[in-house]
Amino acid sequence: MKRILALWDRMRAFVIRDFQLAISYRLAFFFRVLSILIFVTIAYYISRTFMGRAEAFSNWRDPLAAWITGLAVLSYFMTNFSSLANAIRSEQLQGTLESVLMTPISVPGLIVASSALDFFQATLFSLLYLVFGAAFFGVTYQGSYLLAFLILILTTMVFASLGILSASFAMVFKKPDPVALLLGTGTAVFSGVFFPPQLLPSTMQQVSKILPATYGLSAIRGVLIENNGLNEARGPIITLLIFLAVLLPLSLWIFSRAVRRAKREGSLIQY
Amino acid sequence: MPAAIAIRNLSKTYPGAFELRRLLRRSPRKQPVQALCDVSFDVNEGEIFGLIGPNGAGKTTLTKIIATLVQPTTGAVTVKGFDSVNESAALRELIGLAAAEERSFYWRLTVEQNLMFFARLYSISKRQAQARIDELLAQLDLEHSRSKRFGELSTGNKQRMAIARALLSTPPILLLDEPTRSLDPLAAARMRSFIGSLAVGDPPVTILLTSHNLNEIEELCQRIAIISHGRIRELDTPDRIRTLHKARERVRLVLDGISIERAVNVLAPALADVEVAKDGPRTIITFSREIGDDRLDRGLRAILANGTRVVACETERASLLEVLEAYEREEDKGNR
Repeated sequence: MKRILALWDRMRAFVIRDFQLAISYRLAFFFRVLSILIFVTIAYYISRTFMGRAEAFSNWRDPLAAWITGLAVLSYFMTNFSSLANAIRSEQLQGTLESVLMTPISVPGLIVASSALDFFQATLFSLLYLVFGAAFFGVTYQGSYLLAFLILILTTMVFASLGILSASFAMVFKKPDPVALLLGTGTAVFSGVFFPPQLLPSTMQQVSKILPATYGLSAIRGVLIENNGLNEARGPIITLLIFLAVLLPLSLWIFSRAVRRAKREGSLIQY
Repeated sequence: MPAAIAIRNLSKTYPGAFELRRLLRRSPRKQPVQALCDVSFDVNEGEIFGLIGPNGAGKTTLTKIIATLVQPTTGAVTVKGFDSVNESAALRELIGLAAAEERSFYWRLTVEQNLMFFARLYSISKRQAQARIDELLAQLDLEHSRSKRFGELSTGNKQRMAIARALLSTPPILLLDEPTRSLDPLAAARMRSFIGSLAVGDPPVTILLTSHNLNEIEELCQRIAIISHGRIRELDTPDRIRTLHKARERVRLVLDGISIERAVNVLAPALADVEVAKDGPRTIITFSREIGDDRLDRGLRAILANGTRVVACETERASLLEVLEAYEREEDKGNR
């Protein structure tokens, strides 16, 4: 209990620090919100071209709803992934890692705490996609928001595991993880954010099947657009649970090895 | 006196870093570098302990091992009984580190916001943190900079901030790296006085001070260790280190009412190897001797027997700088 309270205190410290830093760049927040509105607007006009032409794909009958949910979820996954992956690296580059690690915070604690505001912001910006779509362009969402949220959390945990793997790579090699780049672009192209994966050539469809985002996105769209329940979402949820069962312990094990190696080499605070 | 910091047979060899470029090219890893070799010593409760040595001697590695930022290859460091590897979190609660690194703060946050952030990481309540920050800003002459962004501070004030942060959690042990490097002479003197006061405060703070400013080390430290090429070469009080290394001193006598020729004649039977010079109406005699021998006594007797007035008698022993230089010369000879 004491450790949880300590982690909570530290998370609060990082959230306040990051908020103070963020408001020192006030315009950045405003431009981010504006860019989401512009993106949704462009998606609306493009979607009118495709309206009624994707009937074969149940999630895509309303292309705007499909895009908006796709972008919201992709933005959420990728922000959270990169936030974890870059937590150590950004402190290294700023030169503050040593002083932060001199406090009683642990390295895993630092990664979780320093990503907290990013998680919050990612949630806010993802919601803005959905809210702008509903408020200005008549997109309607149905189904259980709670179920959609639970699938979102589950997929996020899978991405968080990948983020921890990426952080381990950056800690040892002092370079951004090349797999992270592949995961980012691969998820955008193959997991059905912009078009149904079924449109891809059959060999490329295999790529979409190894990406956790494909299952998360398909299930969330199913709930929000097609009013699917737990029964229909069971398949993707089980696949995501298998991803999580493999990736989470693996990533934590690799991460602990990476921290030990970096401390032994004395390279934890180098960049 | 119990040891606040106990270092036992500590060695650190940095393995060649794991570089992706080398791995992809299958080229061999960099050669390991031995930074510390079999270092052992204790720092007592309430002591100010100095660590001096040239660049690359191992001072920073030693400090970082104590601070749990780097793990030793062999040996152990315990701070108040906590092991630096297995009980690192508990140990860090006891230690404050003030390094001479300006980038270790958030430049866009104010002085107060920076300190409050670090106070929260120590789980200090907001009210207590605010009181402590007020106290430290007053003690370190930073009150007027409270609302300034860190990036707007002068180099000296940035250094004071590092010390303020190290003291936030009122740690019983403080690791100070060049604490007065960027301060003007007056501010440096105040800082030295402040550091000295911490060691005699209630409760006393144990301080490990690394510095290139040897005067500062001599002024503040009860004991010092000279570290060179990763090994402790000498460990004792500043006075004894000077004496142990060079048991000789230079004697300077200032005489009145005697010519150079007469002084040479008077001293010749009593002393050999004497330098005589004129400084206005005064005659200056200089010679060196082994500390405690009878050359000074013989010289003074001869001069006084001649009826000459001795205006001043000064002795000058080796400075820590000379001791350090001597160790470096010995190392260089050994390496050739």
